[in-house]
Amino acid sequence: MPAKRVLVIEDDQWFLSLVKKTLEREKITVVTASNTIEGMVAINEMVPDVIILDFFMPGPNALVLLHELQSYGDTAKVPVILCTNNASDIPKDTLSAYGVVSTLDKTIMYPDDIAVAVRKAI
Amino acid sequence: MEGSRQQTNRLEGAVPTAPSFVAAAHELKSPLALVRQLALHLESGEVTGGELQEIAHRITLTSERAIRLTTDITKSSRLEDSLFSLEPLNPFVLCQEVVDEMKPLYAAHGRTIVLSSRARSLLALANRDLLRRILLNFADNALHYSGDGPVTITASLRDGGSCIRLGVRDYGPALPSVMRKNVGQKSVHVHSRPESSGLGIYIARQFADAMHARIGATSHRDGATFYVDIGTSSQLRLL
Repeated sequence: MPAKRVLVIEDDQWFLSLVKKTLEREKITVVTASNTIEGMVAINEMVPDVIILDFFMPGPNALVLLHELQSYGDTAKVPVILCTNNASDIPKDTLSAYGVVSTLDKTIMYPDDIAVAVRKAI
Repeated sequence: MEGSRQQTNRLEGAVPTAPSFVAAAHELKSPLALVRQLALHLESGEVTGGELQEIAHRITLTSERAIRLTTDITKSSRLEDSLFSLEPLNPFVLCQEVVDEMKPLYAAHGRTIVLSSRARSLLALANRDLLRRILLNFADNALHYSGDGPVTITASLRDGGSCIRLGVRDYGPALPSVMRKNVGQKSVHVHSRPESSGLGIYIARQFADAMHARIGATSHRDGATFYVDIGTSSQLRLL
């Protein structure tokens, strides 16, 4: 079975490297992008199995990407895990219609939570 | 071409009238959450030699960023009770100090910050501490909210030599169009960046007001310049 491929879109490079290390320990292939535009480019090159997405980033925020994903048949069903400092402010019910399967709060999560969420999404 | 045209916007009148506790909490949440995540990785026991040192260094730098912000917030809340003396100062020396102070943080992010050198000597009239904090604020903003390009601090004479503009130029997403549209509308809450609470800009404006300076921003197609305009010292004429 080919390794699962996760795209992590996160503007904080240090947090991004922590997430990458955690997932790679789980034998998951990680592709990274530091903003929504870079994320869209990465998705155009290859549709990932799961997307881990920060909410507020320089340039377009996560909502723009979520809308874009819903516009195409091959990306509409990609599960998205939101990983943000503002999890408590995000209306989770609304976002489930946009493929968001879970939301992780960076302020209270533990490193392994991200791997658990990915395994659950796959 | 509209996209290539630079548009200058005064932040004056386009920032919130008072910072909220929510904005302060929002700004502090990010570095604190990162420190926690870095510390959790250290605790995991799976970190070795060089990586351990790197994570410890990142914790130090991120903590310093949070401390800088809290110091600015407390200083900002006490501005009305304080008198800030203005002194003639060389803005290049001050800008170089800011560059030197921010260099380790930039380097740790794989970024660079430089001072754009100019041959002409300038003498500004400002409060050294407040001006330094404004520039640190802009430089911190540029690091966290702009693209990967270098950040440049510049100093130039304006208005026929009566004013010195110290700017922090970054490369990344342009300022939001709502900011341009709402210039001058005092009641409108405008964020410095779409993902920022705008608290940093609010504080920078307060510091600027306390020494009769003005802050503003210029939006470029490929980034932005946040600047502070300060008066020149009359001693300049004696040089």
